Amino acid sequence: MSSVSNPAPSARLVGFLLVLPALAVIVGLFLMPLAISVIGAFRTPDGWGLANFTKSADLYSIDVLYTVGVIGLSTLLIGLLSIAIGGYLTLGENPRAVALLRWLYRWPLFIPFIVVGQMMRTFLAKNGLMNNVLVAAGLMAPLDTVSFLDWRGIVISFVWKQTPLVALLVAGAMASLDRGTIEAARNLGAGRLRILVEIVVPQVMPTLLVGLTLSFVTMMSVLSVPLMVASQSPTVITADIAFRINAYADYGVANALGVISLVITGGVAWFYLRHTMRERL
Amino acid sequence: MKTLAFCALALGLTAGTAGATELTVATAGDQNMVDYINQYLAPIFEQQNPGDTVRAVGTGPGDAGSQKILERFQAQADAGVTSWDTDVAVVHQKFAGPMAEKGYLAKFRDDIATGKLVSSDMAKNALGTNVDGYVMPMFNSQTAIAYNPDLVKNPPTTYAELADWAAKHPKAFGYNGIKGGMSGVSFVMGWVYAFAGDGDKLQQGPFDPAEAAKWDDAFAKLKAFTANTTLTPGNAGTLDMLARGEIAMGPVWVDMFYTWEAGGQLPPNLKLVLPAPGMPGQPMYYVIPKDAAHKALAEKFVALATSPEVQAQGIVKKFNWYPGIDAQYVKANLSPEDWSKLFTDIGPDDLATKAKAFPITPYNNAILEAYERQVQ
Amino acid sequence: MARVLSALWWLPRGLVLGLLAFAIFGPIANLVLWAVAEKWYFPHVLPLQYGFSYWAKVFAPRGDALTSLVTSIVVACFVVAVSILLAIPAGYALARLRLPFRSLILLAFLIPQAFPNLTVYVNIARIFYQTGLAGTIPGVVLVHVMHCLVYAVWIATAAFAAIDPELEEAARATGAPPLRAFVDITLPLAMPGLMASAIFVFLESLDEFTGSYFVGAPYVHLMPLQLYTAGAGGNYQIASITALLLLIPSVGFMLVVERALTADVLSRIGR
Repeated sequence: MSSVSNPAPSARLVGFLLVLPALAVIVGLFLMPLAISVIGAFRTPDGWGLANFTKSADLYSIDVLYTVGVIGLSTLLIGLLSIAIGGYLTLGENPRAVALLRWLYRWPLFIPFIVVGQMMRTFLAKNGLMNNVLVAAGLMAPLDTVSFLDWRGIVISFVWKQTPLVALLVAGAMASLDRGTIEAARNLGAGRLRILVEIVVPQVMPTLLVGLTLSFVTMMSVLSVPLMVASQSPTVITADIAFRINAYADYGVANALGVISLVITGGVAWFYLRHTMRERL
Repeated sequence: MKTLAFCALALGLTAGTAGATELTVATAGDQNMVDYINQYLAPIFEQQNPGDTVRAVGTGPGDAGSQKILERFQAQADAGVTSWDTDVAVVHQKFAGPMAEKGYLAKFRDDIATGKLVSSDMAKNALGTNVDGYVMPMFNSQTAIAYNPDLVKNPPTTYAELADWAAKHPKAFGYNGIKGGMSGVSFVMGWVYAFAGDGDKLQQGPFDPAEAAKWDDAFAKLKAFTANTTLTPGNAGTLDMLARGEIAMGPVWVDMFYTWEAGGQLPPNLKLVLPAPGMPGQPMYYVIPKDAAHKALAEKFVALATSPEVQAQGIVKKFNWYPGIDAQYVKANLSPEDWSKLFTDIGPDDLATKAKAFPITPYNNAILEAYERQVQ
Repeated sequence: MARVLSALWWLPRGLVLGLLAFAIFGPIANLVLWAVAEKWYFPHVLPLQYGFSYWAKVFAPRGDALTSLVTSIVVACFVVAVSILLAIPAGYALARLRLPFRSLILLAFLIPQAFPNLTVYVNIARIFYQTGLAGTIPGVVLVHVMHCLVYAVWIATAAFAAIDPELEEAARATGAPPLRAFVDITLPLAMPGLMASAIFVFLESLDEFTGSYFVGAPYVHLMPLQLYTAGAGGNYQIASITALLLLIPSVGFMLVVERALTADVLSRIGR
């Protein structure tokens, strides 16, 4: 980025000193306790070893895949919805509809995860408020109702809660784009959908990826939603971690699962890192 | 009038010299546990001990809540804190053993007057660990099968009948597996007692790893059974689905059931049944940390909480729990109607024969892990 | 003709917006209904009886709702202040100065969000008991700051990156000392972005539960703790009322700093 400029040789040191206080908080408060946990993952009753990991793989490999699937799908949907919302806010032609959407979409941002879990549990159930309203409106027969309290419930809750955050970032990025290219394309007769897909989205990709990374990582560590919406098996890794600790007081396997979760998020973060690196160099 | 004023003055003075103390009570369990301490017990205690106040902290429902208290104790012990920030804790049975074994608890039962009002084994032994002297039972909690009589005319009275019923009515029975709360765990333990033989051995020990081989059949059956049921999200989730008529039957905690019914969250016609050979229940214990900052006051608090009057009026009458101290002392403090209200759906005879304990900890863990391997 | 066409466009538009409104406000309506429901069970679509008896319970003298709400807001404000103070120099350096391992540093702030924190917070609690931070407001604030720094630093970095560096350089060229130039020129320009990061930090702090319990309770009583006990235990009325109370500061804070969320800043977050 062109904004990086400061040729002075001492700048590195100054810059490092400026970052230091914030970094110290993370390193001192989190990385140390985290290291204790990671070390704990390799500690077994019979000394050091990988027993906790083999047990995790043995009991929870399906859950790990399930977690990646559910959260991956949520992330994908969040991305698509954010693009749609951001796109309409940027390219929408009716100011009233745009204003309405702008007012509408960000409400879930304010609702904590635990409340989302509890709301969705009674909203998405077979005889929950959603189906009841649909039945009362004549859109559905009472016998056709189904419960969404399984993986779909988790996906719906996550998408509901996280989309506004990403949409907020994406819409901001879209709004700051150079209108010139968009107008030029429009004058050439390109449809709005095509402008969105071919011109707008590629330009806001970095912001979108950042938002999705943040969302993915946050969802990986949420416990309340899966517990309250669908705690049957298979379940997500955080629920297994909580179960390992609460039912067996087994910190070894819990820590091992934590490390597995960290590796998965690390993979996603690496993706993000590589992307920003390419941008910068 | 004058004497009254004098008494008040004297009380005020003693309170003044004793200094105002804040007693911290950490409690695991649902909202009703916090409510019980905040709205019922604390006002009585504060009236008896003017100047002192009680602060209740809820740590969350189920095992997770007790685990958090244990972890807190552990953190303070590891850090070498000499005056702990919890004076009284209310924990599930399963956690009393580890707490006592690790030396976090004070031995206080013999020091309080109500200590001798408990004769049952659960005050001495918590799932195979000797906790004699370290705990006072607050109340007993029991699981049972709740059902909707409109949908189930003849409720099953044994686990075998229940299995048949569920086979004939797919998805009408619901439970929360083992990861979503203790009512599901309790149902599974009852299943093992029913179909894998020696329940007594599981409850009393000693632990024999070879025992696990006998469970395979029971778990194979449970797997087939579970495929035919609805899995609910948590203890509250089972009650939710009962309330919305999505399932007709499911395992619940009896006290939670009554609380929901009283709170208007359940249709009033739902009923409970305890199928043979029985389902496990568990006590909640009052414990006092060894290094509690206000130990004397903490003992006073537990003594009050386990006194026959409080057990009768608070535990039984107001909150629908089975008493923690021996029934004979509590019964005397209640009208026969109030006492019999406890046994509306499940009679005393049923409770005597079918209210089981959870398996001792090593069996408990082995059963849960076998479930994770063989049923899910 | 064009007018009719544009009016017709309201059909699909209205349908989509209506569906979206249902998807967003349906669950929230559910929450509001539970907050005023006295009795609600099958087969009734809506509550059988409405009332405020649970509100009375929440606001009962021993209910602690108001004090914990106030404590939560106070903690959240401190967290915002500390996070922003830490994020200003860090964000400036990350945006303007060529730092080695820049991406790794940015990533470090993400880690507290990335590791399922249950096991880690127990270790933090142990360290805090040793240092006497356990059960104190500064302790809780520190834990929240750690958790929220990713938002603060990432957004602050974006905010500084969005400002043309030549403005500051011009000020320095006229002889202003570097700090002066920063305070007079760059900081005011970055203010909207910093406000945006404040929003996210504020919301995160209000939402945080695990750290608040292990480090704060019993002496620092925060609202999410109550919400968690009530919500997880299935006490819908209490949980809904508590959730609605938590909405007040969140929405209020958002309204105050809303105009700070400019497109220019949002487009640069995390880059």
